[in-house]
Amino acid sequence: MKTIFQASGISKHYGTTCALRDANLVLKAGQIHALMGENGAGKSTFVKILVGAIRPDSGALVLDGQPVVFGSVRDALKQGVVPVYQHSTLFTRLTVLENLSAFGLGSAQRSWARNNCLDRQQATEVLSLVGLDVSLDSLVDELSLGERQLLEIARGVGRRCSVLILDEPTAALGAREANRLHQALQVLCAKRTAILYISHKIDDIKRMADAVTILRDGLTVVNAAARDDISAAQIVQHMLGQTFEPQALCVSTRGEVVLEARDIRLTPTAQPLSLCVHQGEVLGIVGVAGSGALRLGEVLAGAASGHGGTVSLNATSEVVNDRQSAMRAGIGYVPSDRHADGLFLGLSALQNASASVLRGFSSWGVLRLREEAGPFDALIAQFNLNPPRLDLDAAYYSGGNQQKLLFLRNLVLPNLQVLVVLEPTRGVDVGARESIHQALRALACRGIAIIVVSSDLLEVNTLCHQLLVVASHQVAGRMMADAQTDAVLSMMAGAC
Amino acid sequence: MTTLIKQHPAIALGSRIGVIAVPLLVFFLCVLFVPRFLSVDNLQNVLRVGSILLIAACGQTGILIVGGIDFSMGSAVALLSVVTVILAPELGVALAFTGGICVAVLVGLCNGLLIAYLKLPAFLVTLGMLLVLHGLASLLSGGMPLDAAPSPGFLWLGSGHVAGIPVPIILALLAVLSLHGLLRYTLVGRSWYLVGTNFNAALNAGLPARRMVLLAYIVAGLFCALAGAILTSRVGSGQPNLYPDLAFATIAVCAISGIPLNGGRGSAVQVVCGTLIIAMLNNAVVLLNLTSAWQQLLMALVIGAAVVLPQLSNVRRRCVHLLRGNAQ
Repeated sequence: MKTIFQASGISKHYGTTCALRDANLVLKAGQIHALMGENGAGKSTFVKILVGAIRPDSGALVLDGQPVVFGSVRDALKQGVVPVYQHSTLFTRLTVLENLSAFGLGSAQRSWARNNCLDRQQATEVLSLVGLDVSLDSLVDELSLGERQLLEIARGVGRRCSVLILDEPTAALGAREANRLHQALQVLCAKRTAILYISHKIDDIKRMADAVTILRDGLTVVNAAARDDISAAQIVQHMLGQTFEPQALCVSTRGEVVLEARDIRLTPTAQPLSLCVHQGEVLGIVGVAGSGALRLGEVLAGAASGHGGTVSLNATSEVVNDRQSAMRAGIGYVPSDRHADGLFLGLSALQNASASVLRGFSSWGVLRLREEAGPFDALIAQFNLNPPRLDLDAAYYSGGNQQKLLFLRNLVLPNLQVLVVLEPTRGVDVGARESIHQALRALACRGIAIIVVSSDLLEVNTLCHQLLVVASHQVAGRMMADAQTDAVLSMMAGAC
Repeated sequence: MTTLIKQHPAIALGSRIGVIAVPLLVFFLCVLFVPRFLSVDNLQNVLRVGSILLIAACGQTGILIVGGIDFSMGSAVALLSVVTVILAPELGVALAFTGGICVAVLVGLCNGLLIAYLKLPAFLVTLGMLLVLHGLASLLSGGMPLDAAPSPGFLWLGSGHVAGIPVPIILALLAVLSLHGLLRYTLVGRSWYLVGTNFNAALNAGLPARRMVLLAYIVAGLFCALAGAILTSRVGSGQPNLYPDLAFATIAVCAISGIPLNGGRGSAVQVVCGTLIIAMLNNAVVLLNLTSAWQQLLMALVIGAAVVLPQLSNVRRRCVHLLRGNAQ
């Protein structure tokens, strides 16, 4: 197979830390190459170098046999290296067609020199190439997350694209949408595009990738191993640098009912749903993207309001209206989008972790700053927070460690009774995932009720006692956790 | 994605030193090149003039930290002065000033309620307030400055001395210290940083985010009232055009001191340094006998430099890229 894009000897330092050391990568036409590694292993840095967002300290890029130096992402785009990011960069208030042609504006030619509007014929072709079946005139707002991801890829391949770089493309997608995406990638492969696929999902990698490269602490520990030469267990082992053993199921026992939700409607027309959670119980709420599962989690935590219905705590019969009252009642919350809704980037990790318990270390409105860090000392070690200190800007931490900060914020709540966590391990590496799961189990054993909303069936199956399946904003089924995965999948897909 | 690469700690420390270094540099330049700058009388004058700006800028800082902005300060102090002068003959000086101060705090309350609870954009609310209050002040005064009945009590805030130190300077010092304490050591101050950094996250963390925004505008109203009272006492009259561009001057102070407009950052030390730079430059321009046109141009230059310099490497990279792009 022909080599399209090659990076050799790439190194990058930030201050005294070495983010990437002598990394090599060979992308071949029609091949899907997986890039894996824990958060903080250097994947992001590597990708940013490949797409021209940052310059390496040393090393060279070769595209189609020609050495290239990218001054900017635009430079890279011009030459056919197209990144598609985990966080959507679409214009949600514009139509599909407008989004497709807006990207054209950034392309090689001066914008006034030619007619930029992609004609409808071309646009339709591009959409069908990635298997996206939506009207050109529908607003991006109306598309599901999976459709948006496909549109984003369509926007990338609508131009001259010889190398496609996908960052966690299935992180936000349900199983069905992920399948659709994979089919689209197969089509692109057949058209001899080289694809770099960055993901934490080992299943995806085993199914899709032709070759696997694994980074750890900035070093390349596996370089382009063929898919069949490396097992899933080996991948995990290489990423972590140690063997990884899945934990046994939660052993906590169920107590009294803590939280009760009655007659909640997620949309004005949906059937009302009710549920209750017991002490020490882990309730899993699963549903594909756009099914309303996340919305239900937000309503239970008081972060969003449903259409009618009440959420109340049994002990105090307190009704939850917003996050403030929920917090008083002892409902902790970890939102699904940690950057937009959870973290205070630019403030220190300590300020992030203590945000919910300011009153706990203040008297008459004056903070006792000496006491602020106290409760966290033990938790940092328990969670393997890396770096193990709280005085750094929260933006310095990798995704998994940022997620841990959000957990720390809730773990120190004095009257924590219920913890609602949405997508607790989305975009998080295997190591962090395990610490987070352990912490959830430990909490359940302490008698705290936990509600996990996730699109990751493996996760809910290992964590939860009970499952609630949501489809089309309604309850599609309830079952015990060790139910057949296929049954759950069909329910999730059911009413969609 | 963009937030992942942050300032290196060493650079952050450098910029912290820079905050204090720049006013020192300006000071030495003025000492070297501006005749009669270095005298006790003149320096005291710099501080006295700067104190009013400093107090108002303290209020603006709180608002900028929660991610808002206040354009209405200029009219608020004008309305305060007119109300105070009208009330003075009937209620006595002390009560008249109290009444005036209440008016300015009320303005802050209105701004805060409209912005925090009705979720209107701060830019428009305070710009509208600027016009409304100016109209009110003009109506009340008949469009003309009203002279206050001369009394030593009325002039004390602006021109009095305590232990040989001018009262405005003492009040400015108190204002800065209380802002510093508020921001660093109180629940409210901490909440302001959290709310200004990420409003949604603050809500989700269970903070009373809207109340905190409201509080920032009320506190700004208080600072603004103090500045207005001193100003009224200094000029000894109620004027609908007392200090029309006060709000813009405070925003300039914040820009020079490196407080970003998108919230979450800012400190009392920064405000002091920013105010000192502007106060010294204003004084130097007067001493050098430059016209007010030059004065404004110089100010624009300084603010421009303050905004561009911290971004210098970015700006240079973009320029290089633009030029290279054109050459291709």
